[in-house]
Amino acid sequence: MTTHAPAGLKPTSSGGTGSGPGTRSASLAHGNVVKNLLGVQAFQILLVLVVIFLIFTALAPAAFPQWTNLRQVIQNMSILGVLGIGMTFVIVTSGIDLSVGSVLVFSGVVSAKAMILVGGDGWTTALVGLVVAIACGLGWGLLNGLLIAKAKVPPLIVTLGSLGAALGLAQVFTGGVDLTTVPAVLSDNIGYGNLVGTTLPLISVIAIAFLLFFGVVLHRTKFGLYTFAVGSNEEAARRVGVKVDRQLISVYALSGALAGFAGLLSLSQFGTTAIAGQSQTNLNVIAAVVIGGTSLFGGLGTIFGTAVGLCIPAILQNGFVIIGVQPFWQQVAVGVVLVVAVYIDQRRRASAARGGGGGTRKVSLAGLLQRQKV
Amino acid sequence: MTVGQIPILEARGLTRSFGNVRALDGVDFEIYPGEVVALIGDNGAGKSTLVKALSGSLALDSGEILYAGGRVDLNSPTAASALGIETVYQDLALAPHLNPVQNMFLGREVPRSGVLGKFGFLDNKAMQVRSRSAFDDLGATVRSLSDPVGGMSGGQRQAIAIARAVAWAKGVVFLDEPTAALGVVQTKNVLETIRRVRDKGVAVVFISHSMPHVIDIADRVQVLRLGTRVATYQAQNTSMEELVGAMTGAVAGGVK
Amino acid sequence: MKLKRPVVSLLAIGAVASLGLTGCAGGTSAGGGSSADAKDIKLTFIQGVAGDPFYVTMQCGVDAEAKKLGVTVNTQGPAKFDPTLQKPIVDSVVATKPGAILIAPTDTAAMQAPLKAATSAGVKVVLVDTTVKDPSFATSQISSDNVGGGEAAFKAIKSLAPSGGKVLVISTDPGVSTADQRVEGFETAAKADSDFSYLGVQYSHNDPATAAKLTTAALAKDSDIVGVFAANTFAAQGVATGIRQAGKEDSVKVVGFDAGADAVTQLKNGTVQALIAQQPALIGKDAVQQAVAAIKGEKVTAKIPTGFFAITKDNLEGEGANYVYKTTC
Repeated sequence: MTTHAPAGLKPTSSGGTGSGPGTRSASLAHGNVVKNLLGVQAFQILLVLVVIFLIFTALAPAAFPQWTNLRQVIQNMSILGVLGIGMTFVIVTSGIDLSVGSVLVFSGVVSAKAMILVGGDGWTTALVGLVVAIACGLGWGLLNGLLIAKAKVPPLIVTLGSLGAALGLAQVFTGGVDLTTVPAVLSDNIGYGNLVGTTLPLISVIAIAFLLFFGVVLHRTKFGLYTFAVGSNEEAARRVGVKVDRQLISVYALSGALAGFAGLLSLSQFGTTAIAGQSQTNLNVIAAVVIGGTSLFGGLGTIFGTAVGLCIPAILQNGFVIIGVQPFWQQVAVGVVLVVAVYIDQRRRASAARGGGGGTRKVSLAGLLQRQKV
Repeated sequence: MTVGQIPILEARGLTRSFGNVRALDGVDFEIYPGEVVALIGDNGAGKSTLVKALSGSLALDSGEILYAGGRVDLNSPTAASALGIETVYQDLALAPHLNPVQNMFLGREVPRSGVLGKFGFLDNKAMQVRSRSAFDDLGATVRSLSDPVGGMSGGQRQAIAIARAVAWAKGVVFLDEPTAALGVVQTKNVLETIRRVRDKGVAVVFISHSMPHVIDIADRVQVLRLGTRVATYQAQNTSMEELVGAMTGAVAGGVK
Repeated sequence: MKLKRPVVSLLAIGAVASLGLTGCAGGTSAGGGSSADAKDIKLTFIQGVAGDPFYVTMQCGVDAEAKKLGVTVNTQGPAKFDPTLQKPIVDSVVATKPGAILIAPTDTAAMQAPLKAATSAGVKVVLVDTTVKDPSFATSQISSDNVGGGEAAFKAIKSLAPSGGKVLVISTDPGVSTADQRVEGFETAAKADSDFSYLGVQYSHNDPATAAKLTTAALAKDSDIVGVFAANTFAAQGVATGIRQAGKEDSVKVVGFDAGADAVTQLKNGTVQALIAQQPALIGKDAVQQAVAAIKGEKVTAKIPTGFFAITKDNLEGEGANYVYKTTC
């Protein structure tokens, strides 16, 4: 070796600034599971949710913490939950899907038309509706994905376009008049039914099953890993042979298909195509995903966080209505939570970009949680 | 040292123009197994372009590339990887939100055995073990295998990027300015890493502006100027003055 | 009670006006209780959309009457006229177990099940302004008599153009029940009057530009149109623009529907000659009365239609001012 190294500096002491090999084994030994499952911000936001829950429980002990009330909250979140899954995947790729609400309505309209055409009130009709709804959503999703991945049009523009187009076509197909014929099996079982033997709404059971399933897909499979990789550094992913375009198309197709499925759930719950409805759905879902710690810049996010992120606005609104706060304040509160969540995300990104240092460099929400970064 | 051997990678008369600019102008290049070749030249001499061409990231106007004596068509990084050619880019090209193991195996994940693997589940344990041993092989201390690499120091990221390339390279590793952003200690580590890789029989091509490093580590030095090779030197027989002269055109090149 | 409608409505407006300054925040607590158990009665008023002048005016009527009867009212409303936003509010309100919900449902089908569920949970439901597919579970329905509103619009045109002529309707979308009823009322009245010739209805899809195009096209075809009934504010904006483009400001009279701030501005600057104002404050007042009666087990009226007032430039400063929709109480 023809080096002029200072004495005592072995080549193997590379890189690290201040942490020895001991911390390495420690970090491997414990903490991984919890961290991977929860994600930092998702956990902080869970604490926020608990605090909000306790406050409303104290303010309205007779009404708020009752199962009959919470059951309704969960039921009303279910459709947003299904949409939130797709939105989490999309935002993890550093994209956005503004079209979910319109695609939901469009799929609901076409599905309702198909079910009216088939006729009948039973599960066969419902199955036709299901297939049609998912196919419609999938179609819009594929279109979004192709335009984004192949034509390189920014996701914001593509999905803004399909937002308008899907809603417009839904109005064209119906002349703007809602279809209100929905098979009874859908509204009785999925819309307002419970899981057999419980008081748990079936629509929520479906949503929770979807969240669990796609949580595993995002955090445990190659598909999920590639979703993160594309969002984290598209070029890096491309260079190691990840089929970036195909991944993007798949992710938008997933979001579309879930929106289509949500269209059927919406038909079941509302008994109408509600063309004028779902006006805020896309923004509510995006807000929930972001509150849950998924970074709008991509590469970072959890399905668990999205689930918690959905709960916060829902619980806030429910609690505010119960304690009788003016409706406008509810929007203010949700807006504040959203901005705080993004602020934390930004701070975290900034500190990550500074790189280097070991030790503690986590931003925590008002010091609620100090987590040692090893 | 290399006479009589077949080059692991050889380029003949590579040409590529961008508009009116000839980035590569009939450049030749060759490297033998277990050899370290430094690629030097002034800014714009075509070093990075050549590396891109040889690692499948750039289409050529004309010329041919031979791998272990056979003609190959390097039309994508994946094609180059499949042959055993790996590249560490200046920007490292790691995914900052993924951990070292995920970066190490990105695009080459180890599936779980059995049915779960078919559904895309990954054998994280196996990948972790193999990553750890790859880092240890190079003497790279990667503090955590589970934290995102975006939060790690430049030196650590460099170590991960090099370890990844080396782990997968069967034939040739390209290092584009591997020491440009590093401190003294980290630079020394990288140079030591290059030696270790060479000792494993893998050919290393590295681009550098640092003449002492070039002379220190390289077996041969190839000098590029205006998109063509102007000189090749045995590193132990040359000097900084000679190299700089060849780069700037002050000294007539030749094969020593 | 129905017979005395004008008197009652005047009283209501008087009450609103006199109590106006005392404020109407989200919750109005009981004032001087008139009945022993009145202060235990809790009502919730759920608007179709929060902050809309029509519903704000209705809330003023609700709050004033609640104060008079000594009951508590909490007001809620979604950010948009959207059943997907209104349903969670209804569900949350039911959890507070109010005595009654006064609600303007945002969708006839979508709000059916949640409101029925509220009734099953023991909450009385009073429907205001809009309704649901099968309102049989509701204690009472109070809404403007939209057919009568169309008729009132025709009368307004007749008084503006007494000699008669061709009249046209620009509506919003087909299938919007309230608008369809207004058109129906207008059509019936216009056809019954031999001085007038009814040209039919055109749909502007809530877009002023479309309404303007429809109007200019209609004027090109029939240059002697004397009156246009614009079934909502957007339509009125477009109609006025179309008439100006055709240079027919002097010969064509426009009657609009609803008396929000925009519409009143149109009236003031002369683009619209009359506004058919609903009486949301009266609807709110009636709704509180019905809800309280139902809770006390007294007699309720299943259906109460409310009337209209034609606001013109002439009465805008006088009696008409009482009928302009409010943005605060």
